[in-house]
Amino acid sequence: MAGAIIENMSTKKLVIMGVTLLLFQAFAFMVGGLIAPSPTTAVHYLAMKCVDTTKHREETKWFMPWGPNQCDKIQNFEEAMAKKIEANNIVFAVHIPLPNKEMSPWFQFMLVILQFDIAFKMYNQIEDGSLATIDVGLAYRDDTVSEWTEMAHSFEQRKLSCNFTTAKTFENEGRYYECDLLPFMEVGSVAHKYYLLNIRLPVNERKKVNVGIGEIKDIRLVSIHQNGGFTKVWFAMKTFLTPSILIIMIWYWRRILMMSRPPVLLEKVILALGISMTFINIPVEWFSVGFNWTWMLLFGDIRQGIFYSMLLSFWIIFCGEHLMDQTERNRFSVYWKQVGPIVFGSFCLFIFDMCERGVQLTNPFYSIWASDVGTELAMAFIIVAGICACLYFLFLCFMVFQVFRNISGKRTSLPAMSKARRLHYEGLIFRFKFLMLVTLACAAMTVIFFIISQVNEGHWHWGGAHGADEHSSGQCITGDNGGNSGEDIQLTTTITHVDGPTEIYKMTGKEAQE
Amino acid sequence: MRSRLPQTACLLRLVALCILLSNTAAYFGLTGREPLVFLPGPFSNEPPTGKAHLKQCEQMSLTRRQKRLCRREPGLAEALRESVRLSLVECRYQFRNERWNCSLEGRGSLLKRAFKETAFLLAVSSAALTHALAKACSSGRMERCTCDDSPGIQHREAWQWGVCGDNLKYSTKFIKKFLGQKKVSKDLRAQIDAHNTNVGIRAVKSGLKTTCKCHGVSGSCAVRTCWKQLSPFKDTGRLLKYRYDTAVRVLSVTNEATGETELAGPRRHGQSLRTTDLVFLEDSPSFCRPSRYSPGTGGRSCAKDTSCQSLCCGRGYNTAMRLTSLSCHCQVRWCCHVECQTCVREEEVYTCKNA
Repeated sequence: MAGAIIENMSTKKLVIMGVTLLLFQAFAFMVGGLIAPSPTTAVHYLAMKCVDTTKHREETKWFMPWGPNQCDKIQNFEEAMAKKIEANNIVFAVHIPLPNKEMSPWFQFMLVILQFDIAFKMYNQIEDGSLATIDVGLAYRDDTVSEWTEMAHSFEQRKLSCNFTTAKTFENEGRYYECDLLPFMEVGSVAHKYYLLNIRLPVNERKKVNVGIGEIKDIRLVSIHQNGGFTKVWFAMKTFLTPSILIIMIWYWRRILMMSRPPVLLEKVILALGISMTFINIPVEWFSVGFNWTWMLLFGDIRQGIFYSMLLSFWIIFCGEHLMDQTERNRFSVYWKQVGPIVFGSFCLFIFDMCERGVQLTNPFYSIWASDVGTELAMAFIIVAGICACLYFLFLCFMVFQVFRNISGKRTSLPAMSKARRLHYEGLIFRFKFLMLVTLACAAMTVIFFIISQVNEGHWHWGGAHGADEHSSGQCITGDNGGNSGEDIQLTTTITHVDGPTEIYKMTGKEAQE
Repeated sequence: MRSRLPQTACLLRLVALCILLSNTAAYFGLTGREPLVFLPGPFSNEPPTGKAHLKQCEQMSLTRRQKRLCRREPGLAEALRESVRLSLVECRYQFRNERWNCSLEGRGSLLKRAFKETAFLLAVSSAALTHALAKACSSGRMERCTCDDSPGIQHREAWQWGVCGDNLKYSTKFIKKFLGQKKVSKDLRAQIDAHNTNVGIRAVKSGLKTTCKCHGVSGSCAVRTCWKQLSPFKDTGRLLKYRYDTAVRVLSVTNEATGETELAGPRRHGQSLRTTDLVFLEDSPSFCRPSRYSPGTGGRSCAKDTSCQSLCCGRGYNTAMRLTSLSCHCQVRWCCHVECQTCVREEEVYTCKNA
């Protein structure tokens, strides 16, 4: 096949380009490591126990844990018992953020995790499979004196999965269960300065609501948001890089069009990849600073999804077009078998994401993992997507194997050629083989990484042992961007490099944080 | 849980004792000079913006520097009180089956010496203070917590940019300031106390659990956030009790290279001490009979097969039959509703003989 650019490029130019890209990447690394803070911050909150003294609850009253107009508090539930306060009148209040701080739109998103501190009591143990029913309200305001405005209110159920690590004896009464983290809330934009959460655990014995949930001593929340500094640096990078890929892309396409023949499939795919990469890089997030767009998080997911499915399709087509057999491909429809799983898999993930983050647009407390049916459904989607990924990888491996077999077939005929011609071919084959291996390794890493991460997603894993593989795969995603195609290094690499820095730079941020 | 208070008479005696006490270092809580009178004080409900905390600060017998810190930070007084409660409850729980049961009587005399018990008191107070401060930070009771010490940038900017530390880092730093540990004197006793205090802080730190949450694309682990979580104070108490059981007697050794005195364990000469060990200088008294360190074990109830032997110091025990009413078959609902039947049970009660 007629090489467009890279095969015609001299080694010197190639090296220069590679070095430039490397330098660029190093620069991105430095920015990520030196200027930006860690990507996210987790803040702990301990809920204050307020007493609702109002007789009838017609209008919602908001309870402040501290500051002026704070609520009547109780220290613990023994006190509540003595004062004959009922469960329905106890409100757990959490103000986000802590005193003397305010939230900002630069935080981009906020997700909150819930944890119960449940003490073991012989006569009040947690029953198997018990559900905690939570009546929760979220309110906001933008200055410290005005009234709270309700943002969301919902009744949620969360499954308690707690275990007690020591013997269940009288001796051990008062020790805490070890409970899993519970997903609690996710907000896609942080447009207001102050947020207030009021949580109740209503009890209804007849309807078996909140019966058998053990002795809850405290409610702890952990809120996670993106750091303002990180957001700013990230936006700056994106804003700076988007025009550069755009220019490269236009230049590439112009060059393709200048040729006498119409563009081949591979070139079109590269253009598509470039477009999807531009799409992911366009800093539309700037708007989230000014507008209260909660769907930004979902939109970001969709953009990433499009990019990854494009990248995966690109690998397949790249291999297919290098098969060097006599079949005429050059048509997208030839690859339906290989591209099918990609499309199907990403569609599954899209549905899953819509079920989780899509619903969260209306109810920030919704979590698909909270109910049994939801968990099964979510797992089903993820498993199907995983199978698709495996299938895809098998196809890819097979194709790469075919390419290599064909190459070695061609090699045998090399000695018959003239010296100059032979050297030329050998160089080409070497280059191709090298890039192929890198691509393959990266594809493998990406798929493995995807599976690991999705398995982990199922049960919120603990401990910090996964840093290594995550980094390497992230590295690889960027790395593969650095070196995948034989033909078009200039476009893909540069383009992907544009995505590269953000990825890499997220990683360095993480490293710096550690 | 409110701790049962000793009688007022008892407390008055303690006050007298504590006044006599002349401890050079400014310690706090179970190791402080104050008689813990503020312990059961009416919690919260104070007017939020009022000067209630100033009064609370005055009530506690703190050093001048501690008072200044206490006045500066409205939530501190409550956190200090909470830490005393926490340490006392935990100390009593851990020593319920020991000859010394963490009784407040004789605490003053104990603190003058360098027994294992003194070491535990120091460690448990500093651990409780660390724990209580970190908790007060996360419940919003304290105003300056994490972002206070970020260098160079203003508080608010540090928060927005995202370079604030975590609560625990702040609280350990604060404690060092509060307990005045910046410069440890060359005095052996002061060194030992400082070491044991640090053991307490370290015990809280070592109990931290790292927890992570993935929140990448559709919840994948492409982006993860981890944080450290305090373990329940019961676990810290258990760890400290273990440290108490394995405490090391130390000697003062002059480091030939630097000419400074440092602590060293007996068997490991020349080798510096492990930072996690509790250290002591003197062998503890038996705590069997009433002394200035403890009221003795006479009259303590014990378990026949397990603790009576050691607890009663070989004096034997009285056995009595007693009808006790227990609540049983309880119907408990979350928060504040307990329905129990009363069962009457005949029980054998063993109490140590008085001398």
